[in-house]
Amino acid sequence: MNQLLLVAPVLLPIAGGILMLMIPEKEARVHPIFTELIVLASSAMIWAVLFTGREQGNGAVLFSMAGNLKVFFRMDGMGAVFSGLVSVLWPLATLYAFEYMEGDRRGREFFAFYTMTYGVTLGIALSGNLVTLYLFYELLTLVTFPLVLHDRTKEAIRASRKYLYYSIGGAAFAFIGLVFVLIYGSTADFTLGGVLNKGVPGFDTNVILFMYVLAFFGFGVKAALFPVHSWLPSVSVAPTPVTALLHAVAVVKSGAFAILRLTYFSYGADFLKGTWAHYVVLGAVLVTIVYGSTMAVKEVHFKRRLAYSTISNLSYVLLGAVMMSAAGMAAALSHLVFHAFMKICSFFCAGAVMHQAGRNYVYELDGIGKKMPVTLACFTIAGLSLTGIPLFAGFISKWNIAQAAVGLGGIPGFLAAGVLLYSALMTGIYMMTVVVRAYFPKEGYDETALDGVKEPGWRMLTPIVIFAAVILFFGLYSRPLFHFLQQTAGGSGI
Amino acid sequence: MEQDFLLLLPIFFPMAAGILTLALAKAKMGRKAKLTVVFGALVLELLFTILCLMRGDVSVTLWQLTDTIRISFHVDTISRIFAGLSVSVWLLVGCFAFSYMSHEEHEERFFGFYLIVEGALTALSFADNMVGFYVFFEVMTFTSLPLVLHEMTKPAIMAGLKYLFYSVAGAFMALFGIFFLAGYGAIGSFQAGGILDASATAGHEGLLLASAFMMIIGFGTKAGMFPMHGWLPTAHPEAPAPASAVLSGVITKMGVLAVIRVVYYVIGPDILRRTWVQTVWMILTLTTIFLGSMMAYKEKIMKKRLAYSTVSQVSYILFGLSLLHPAAFIGAIAHVIFHSLVKNTLFLGAGAIIYKTGKTKVAELRGIGKEMPVTIWCFTLVSITLVGIPPTSGFVSKWYLATGALSSGTGVFSWLGPVILLISALLTAGYLLPVTIHGFFPGADYDYGSLEKREPSALMTVPMILMTMGAVALGMFPGVILNAASAAAELLF
Repeated sequence: MNQLLLVAPVLLPIAGGILMLMIPEKEARVHPIFTELIVLASSAMIWAVLFTGREQGNGAVLFSMAGNLKVFFRMDGMGAVFSGLVSVLWPLATLYAFEYMEGDRRGREFFAFYTMTYGVTLGIALSGNLVTLYLFYELLTLVTFPLVLHDRTKEAIRASRKYLYYSIGGAAFAFIGLVFVLIYGSTADFTLGGVLNKGVPGFDTNVILFMYVLAFFGFGVKAALFPVHSWLPSVSVAPTPVTALLHAVAVVKSGAFAILRLTYFSYGADFLKGTWAHYVVLGAVLVTIVYGSTMAVKEVHFKRRLAYSTISNLSYVLLGAVMMSAAGMAAALSHLVFHAFMKICSFFCAGAVMHQAGRNYVYELDGIGKKMPVTLACFTIAGLSLTGIPLFAGFISKWNIAQAAVGLGGIPGFLAAGVLLYSALMTGIYMMTVVVRAYFPKEGYDETALDGVKEPGWRMLTPIVIFAAVILFFGLYSRPLFHFLQQTAGGSGI
Repeated sequence: MEQDFLLLLPIFFPMAAGILTLALAKAKMGRKAKLTVVFGALVLELLFTILCLMRGDVSVTLWQLTDTIRISFHVDTISRIFAGLSVSVWLLVGCFAFSYMSHEEHEERFFGFYLIVEGALTALSFADNMVGFYVFFEVMTFTSLPLVLHEMTKPAIMAGLKYLFYSVAGAFMALFGIFFLAGYGAIGSFQAGGILDASATAGHEGLLLASAFMMIIGFGTKAGMFPMHGWLPTAHPEAPAPASAVLSGVITKMGVLAVIRVVYYVIGPDILRRTWVQTVWMILTLTTIFLGSMMAYKEKIMKKRLAYSTVSQVSYILFGLSLLHPAAFIGAIAHVIFHSLVKNTLFLGAGAIIYKTGKTKVAELRGIGKEMPVTIWCFTLVSITLVGIPPTSGFVSKWYLATGALSSGTGVFSWLGPVILLISALLTAGYLLPVTIHGFFPGADYDYGSLEKREPSALMTVPMILMTMGAVALGMFPGVILNAASAAAELLF
């Protein structure tokens, strides 16, 4: 009974999703209610654990496969952050999806898999060891695959295939890293500081480091690390709720989350710090940031531009992670949380524009701010925050990452701070051009073309406004959250 | 420390008033009623600010943003100079704009952002530490952007974006410096002479100097310092004339204020003296002075010419600061005020000409003095001031700059500086005085029959007259300003 609270939120949405596929297609009115209930129930359970503190720190073994290959859930500080994050985002994103997907022929399938993804993501958040993490990581690919495929257009089919190959390939590399942790580690359970045991016969530092790099890039596929990022801009053909929640938060953050687990809880930051492996992954992360934000400036498709922005921002999280210090980990977690709100908010705004006005390209957005003032105001907030303008959440996390970089010192620290600011400038360019266009259309634009365009309904607007409010809130008041993250990174967390 | 919450009033009152004005866009009120609201806000803001400036060195902490970042405000001599200048100019230019903006659309948007920017400027003057300063620096950039974009023509949009990207790039370069110096105590409260923890910086001089340099270049962007000056001649002329005036006259000065805070109140002049940072900085400012004057001399469009002149003149100030010498510092502070008054008047004059005749090119202005005598008289007097002819104020500031340079002991720069100042003064005469000469003396072949009275209304002329009087009279009675500046300098050196 005690362990149910940890297992149920994971299993309920998965079961609910399967059940949903059995509800007859014609009962379309039932789907939204059923979906929202399941999602809310799971979130409620997560919140119960978070706020009462019950079951925190305790483990819940679902089953054991062999020996120490247990499927095992536990909510520690990091798990609390990630599960708390998705438990807030999911119900709101689902609400948004109801309006966005209205009248879609395959709505039932969509919501079925969307709900299942929730369970799987919580599985990743709550996994207590690398094996469980790996299991749910693979599952995540499988349940999100149909969502990318959703439109069944040629583009969607190609994108989903690419997604599948990249993800499975990446997981295979991650698996190699996992095996080495199992062999050379004292336990597979996540322990802050790492579990490697140098006393095990055959322990060769360089081989282990090589395995870490492999696993880093393996998990890095989902975190859209250069050069294994290219699936992410492609899958923006999926419906916006998928792009926004899965490809800006759940899936990509699972990749970053897995890397954080791998780095700080399996291999151990102290073991990695200053080795060649450290510099290899740091280099890859820096290249990704520069690449992602530069490409975003070049890209004129609205959603793909945001996808490139995700690539660079995910690597901000990883940049924090590869500082190999407690400060770096706390900074990474803070950006993981804040970026989620910023990016989902901007994607939802882009989706609202697509849905209401049918405009997909940045150069088509002239004057849209007059017709959809609330949406564009929220987009502006998200954009300023992504750029890292103070009084918005993005500034806080970038400050933290930069301070961690300065703490690393030397040329790498200098480079990291430089890259961060270069990317911030690019972010300013690719976000603010949209805002300026929307509010200050060049003279001579066709005003009548936007006739009849209006704000979306409350189900789409509510999440957008809430997310924008959260960005402002954290921009001004992030200290309690950051203290919690510091505790988590310092190991004294629950 | 005792909290004085009154300090928050001149910061947040205009912001609130600005938001209210923006909200009035849809209200069914007459133009007069709306402008009365704006006027009331500008006057109240002036009173509030003066009230705060008279309260002595008070401070207030608004908000603890993170464990290390505190948003707090403090009034010192430098705050008094910059805040006093910006709110006075804001009121005068605002009055001019009441008349000028009647031929533009979206007036509520203009005045709304105009007021919000004023709040940001006061916040910058009052800011008590580097990060708090940086916060409002960004606020100023983003809220002044709509002023540049205002006319929504294609060139205005392009100019606005250029302004935005240069400003953000500059701010991030400055932030780079803040990142690295934060660990050495650079984000504590400003203090004359610097606040860096000497024991922590020992052995990291290279990093320290590099950070200082990044901050000077970064904040120098707003002040139009080479090599980040490119936005200024594009953006200032594209804005409506009152906005060009305050952009050139006041907002560039916030870049100067930033550099003053960084160099004199965070890092400390002693650390930078005789380092490569000082040398490169002097070279950059002298280059800017010369280049700006040359470009202004060559430029045919009136407002663009004035913008290039701003590039050159603001670097006079930065050159004075780069000498790290008390007399030069006093000269720089004085030039902040004098140039602000002069450049605002010049832009308002150019605006009045555009408003009345639609003429934008210098060559078209023949005989303009016969049509708009008051405007051109003001224009002439402030031109003379800018050239630096005694007894106007420009002479005083340049005198201090030149004597400061000569006794600064900076080797070749101690004489090169005054030489370049002199050349630039000649160029200034060359690019400003033709307007007067052709304006009043159009030549024998001029058709005097087509002349008509085109003097603008008192709303436009009175601000120009007042600022001209200020610019000239302060040259004869510079005591107030020089005393304040030397009081600040005494603490620094």
